[in-house]
Amino acid sequence: MHNNDLDINISKLSKIEGHTDLDIKIRNNKVEDVGLHVMENMRFFNQAVCGQSYSNAPQLVSRICGTCSIAHLTACIEAIEKALEIKPSEQTMILRKLTMYSMMIRDHALHLYFFVLPDIFNIDSALDMPKEKMNLIHEALHIKEAGNNLSNLIAGRAVHALFEQVGGFSNEIDKTKIPAIIKELKRIRSYVIKLAEIFYNCKWEFKRKTNFVALTTSDFSFLEGKIKSTNGAIIEEKDYWNHLHNVVLPYSQASGFEFEGSEYMVGALARLNLNKDALHSNTKKDMEKYLNVFPSDNVYHNNLAQVIEIMHSIDHSIELLEKLDFKKEAIVKPTKLSGEGVGVIEAARGTLYYWIGINEGKVRYANLVIPTAQNLINMRSDVRNIVSDICNDKVLIKKLENKIRKEVEKIIRAYDPCMSCAAHFLKINWK
Amino acid sequence: MINKKKKRVGIFSLTCDEGCSIYLIEIFNKKLFDWLKKMDLVYFLSIRDKREIKNLDIALVEGVVTSEKDKEYLKKIRSNSKILIAMGSCAINTMPSGQRNNFNTKQLGEIKDHLKKYNFLQRALALKEVVKVDNEIIGCPINEKIFIKVFEKYLKI
Repeated sequence: MHNNDLDINISKLSKIEGHTDLDIKIRNNKVEDVGLHVMENMRFFNQAVCGQSYSNAPQLVSRICGTCSIAHLTACIEAIEKALEIKPSEQTMILRKLTMYSMMIRDHALHLYFFVLPDIFNIDSALDMPKEKMNLIHEALHIKEAGNNLSNLIAGRAVHALFEQVGGFSNEIDKTKIPAIIKELKRIRSYVIKLAEIFYNCKWEFKRKTNFVALTTSDFSFLEGKIKSTNGAIIEEKDYWNHLHNVVLPYSQASGFEFEGSEYMVGALARLNLNKDALHSNTKKDMEKYLNVFPSDNVYHNNLAQVIEIMHSIDHSIELLEKLDFKKEAIVKPTKLSGEGVGVIEAARGTLYYWIGINEGKVRYANLVIPTAQNLINMRSDVRNIVSDICNDKVLIKKLENKIRKEVEKIIRAYDPCMSCAAHFLKINWK
Repeated sequence: MINKKKKRVGIFSLTCDEGCSIYLIEIFNKKLFDWLKKMDLVYFLSIRDKREIKNLDIALVEGVVTSEKDKEYLKKIRSNSKILIAMGSCAINTMPSGQRNNFNTKQLGEIKDHLKKYNFLQRALALKEVVKVDNEIIGCPINEKIFIKVFEKYLKI
């Protein structure tokens, strides 16, 4: 009988958003504990946001996370507008959709090409791609640049966007730049299909039963609609919190969320499983083969779902940019300065919930639920199950360490967690 | 004359939202392949797992020094780098990631247990309060034009 105890520590897990350490404790061939450590970089946004004026708060919460900054900005603005009864104009809603699309294009491309592709090609970094495949990385940069240019045009910047504000956009769209952006978006479509083919042919499989939850929008624009789940729930945005339970994970420093009493998954896979009919018609036409994969309970299909969302973001952006005549509009002012409101959007990684209370123009409290906190219970149990499957009585477990590390990182990357966000909103279990 | 020796470059995140390094990846869209002719990206956890901090020509560092752990990490980077560049306003003047420095007594009361448990410093520090900094790139996130200008200056051998 071998001594089949092993402690695996992955310090600063690479190729994800933000930093986390991961500990896996195996005793006598059984996984005893999976621990995530994200608390050491706390920047205390819960405290900092209170007392801020309603007009400053969105730019402050944008700084929670560089990658997800547009998602935090947009969800926070929606909550504040609901609290202060501000009704954004039709054009503002369209500009917000374009802003969200610009983020999805960049963010999914970064995740897929730079975080996940190296695992597919068995290399450390996208920069080590064999020469004959290096064109993929050139294409990745083109896709990201198209998203970046769209962010610049609509929102002023891809990270901590300047123009998106409570009540509207502060800038006037430079219409002379629109044709070049449309051309660029059309050009990258063929790259996206190539990427879809790679993930379609990828044989990674980890099937698991779970409840998928997402905000379903009629035009798949990530902004407004009803929250639905694959087990049949249909919920208004404002009521989402009532269906969530904060659960402290045993043997862990963190806590995650359950939806209606059980584990669930948010993100691109959930959106595709619940709402693929709402995708843009051009996306549906050109990606039919890949869309037939959904609904899927293979966690790795989150990657393919993200590719499809890049295409939808491109196609709907092209339509909006071609159709619309953008005009300079005044920012809508609040009708009152106290109240509370909920903003729910779909961030790249899943449902993002903001509940904000405002008193005389200043934030009284803010309650946030971020996507990574909602996926945490699933992610942790998947890590545990994958490690348990690898553990084998007949083999000295130390020999399996590299395989365990590789498979664990692979499944975690499929969830596309954001640890910059998580560092703030995974509550800690004080022992 | 073509210089054959490439600069060894590392990109490091201390405590922050990583917005500067994410924005740097956007700057890469146009510049990466040009720069790769003159540099090897030897440390950047966002795109590479290999993590040796040794013999760096240029270290780009974002974020504030909020804990003892950050402090040791930064000192290690400094002692292994010829040039250290502070990226963004957190690294230069502690804001916004060092916002706890401006907290009132009530806010500080709420976070004190956390500070103690994780060995946080009394206040969050800018890089230059801990180590010698050779250059700074302003912005939240970094200003694209300034970054390119400064970085390309150091890339030339």
